[in-house]
Amino acid sequence: MSERDRIPSTPLHVTINGRRQPVEDVPNELMMLDYLHEYRNLTGTRYGCGIGLCRACTVIVDHEDGTSEERRTCITGAHFFEGKSIRTVEGHAERDEDGEIASLSEVQQQFLEHFSFQCSYCAPGFVNAATVLVERLQREPVAREALEDTISDALEDHLCRCTGYVRYYRAVRDAVLATPGTIKEG
Amino acid sequence: MRRVLLMAGLLVAATGVARAADPGADTDRVERGRYLARAADCAACHTSEGGTPYAGGHPIETPFGTVYGTNITPDDDYGIGDYSADDFHRALTEGELPDGTQLYPAMPYTDYHGISRADSDALYAYFMSLDPVHQQSTQTDLAWPFSMRWTLNAWNWLFAPDDSDDSDDSDDSTADRGRYLVDTLGHCGACHTPRNAFGAVESDHRLEGAVIGGYEAPALTPDALAGRGWTASDLTRFLRDGRSPQGSMYSEMYPVFHHSTRYLREDDLSAMTRALLGDDPPEPTPLAAKSSTMDGQGAQLYLDNCAGCHGSDGRGVAQVASAMPGNTTLRLDSPRNLVKVIHEGIEARSFGTFERVQAMPGFADDMDADQIAALATWLRQRWGGHDDTVDTAAVEDIIGASSD
Repeated sequence: MSERDRIPSTPLHVTINGRRQPVEDVPNELMMLDYLHEYRNLTGTRYGCGIGLCRACTVIVDHEDGTSEERRTCITGAHFFEGKSIRTVEGHAERDEDGEIASLSEVQQQFLEHFSFQCSYCAPGFVNAATVLVERLQREPVAREALEDTISDALEDHLCRCTGYVRYYRAVRDAVLATPGTIKEG
Repeated sequence: MRRVLLMAGLLVAATGVARAADPGADTDRVERGRYLARAADCAACHTSEGGTPYAGGHPIETPFGTVYGTNITPDDDYGIGDYSADDFHRALTEGELPDGTQLYPAMPYTDYHGISRADSDALYAYFMSLDPVHQQSTQTDLAWPFSMRWTLNAWNWLFAPDDSDDSDDSDDSTADRGRYLVDTLGHCGACHTPRNAFGAVESDHRLEGAVIGGYEAPALTPDALAGRGWTASDLTRFLRDGRSPQGSMYSEMYPVFHHSTRYLREDDLSAMTRALLGDDPPEPTPLAAKSSTMDGQGAQLYLDNCAGCHGSDGRGVAQVASAMPGNTTLRLDSPRNLVKVIHEGIEARSFGTFERVQAMPGFADDMDADQIAALATWLRQRWGGHDDTVDTAAVEDIIGASSD
């Protein structure tokens, strides 16, 4: 292959689930979702609509100031994440020395207990969005009576076509209530 | 108590009878009025988002304060229930209410001045045929001295046209019909013609473009349209469908499509196109060759943030994201609308029966003015036929004004 035919690529430095990833040349126009699937074999992040609408492809970007945000990987290029640290659905559970899951995060556990998802296609996006919400509420607690609206505002863009959202809502509410410091008095 | 209720019932019945005897009974005229109300885009201001049609409440931002569209259903207290056809005609074409109150010129009575008496009567018949909505519209809140309505008499003396058109025939020929639809009913100039310091349109600069609400209402002269690549068939399609190869309607133009142009007959759309582009439209200017490459900050910003929907080749996705090459927003001389769209995004919209287009996210939280300038420069050079640079100060100026 001649130099002209090479796909323009640039080295990518990214941390995923607390681990700095091997630096390699990544095509400039590769979407992050494809990087996760094809370069890192992290297939838990889902390709849904491909146009940033359904949120199944959502991951968490962790900022240095301790805040976090959601980011849609089907419409965001891999190189957007240059130098950044992200979490995917594979990064939430505690694992033992053998890499087996030892315990789930509060959000994951509540999703299971409430039968929140059925086909599971949207679940990775919901896990990440709910986690971002719980962590935000730990930093900025809300009044108990504002919780329902807060959950709706945080998750309403995420689409689920199986379970009708009620079970997701109850699970997120219980995950928030089970996490100390998320609710303020009055 | 029962007597009061009975009286009230009789009153309602009496009102109903009176209404039935009104010109509203003339079905053809009502239907013609309905069409004219759409062509005149009355709903854009007189219907609030999600509200009952024509019951008022839509805020209109002006440089002098916020004016609210009024209730124009035939309610006796809050609407136009006690208007005669003469009262209606005077309000429509002169901006003067039956009690002598002057309307603010946010009501485009200077454009509607040319509405024929026959069309005014058809509009009147249509509005009187609606169910009255007993709802007070939000009161207008202007800064002094504009809060003093008497100042409007001076304004009218300076800027409003004289003499209404009392003729009955508004559609002598296609050319006249087109001008009537564009300038009078459609009041395109209300946004697309620049205004002077007193908020009056500068008739010497008809449809030469203006900035309104932070966005550019582009110039619609034949040369300006052709310079951005518009053909007559594309322009007709744009008005009818809200979309065309040059892009889709957004910002304040989308409601114009939604409430007005999508309902217009094909012959009226063609007449409007002809009025805009002229009888002998100038040749559309071909898109100049790309002058930016796939290297550098602008290109990478595009790939990282835009290409997921618009494609790395810019071709977009049908029903999802507009194609970039030759897009009218990229071809505009000013980068204003492009910068605004990148910064604020575009709401989800429906176009016609079968098209729903998702929202475009805004990048206000993701890109600073430097990055928006780099992206806008690259886009304009790649697919807008420009070779200039959008500088950071210009972007700051545009997004600063939008976040006020």
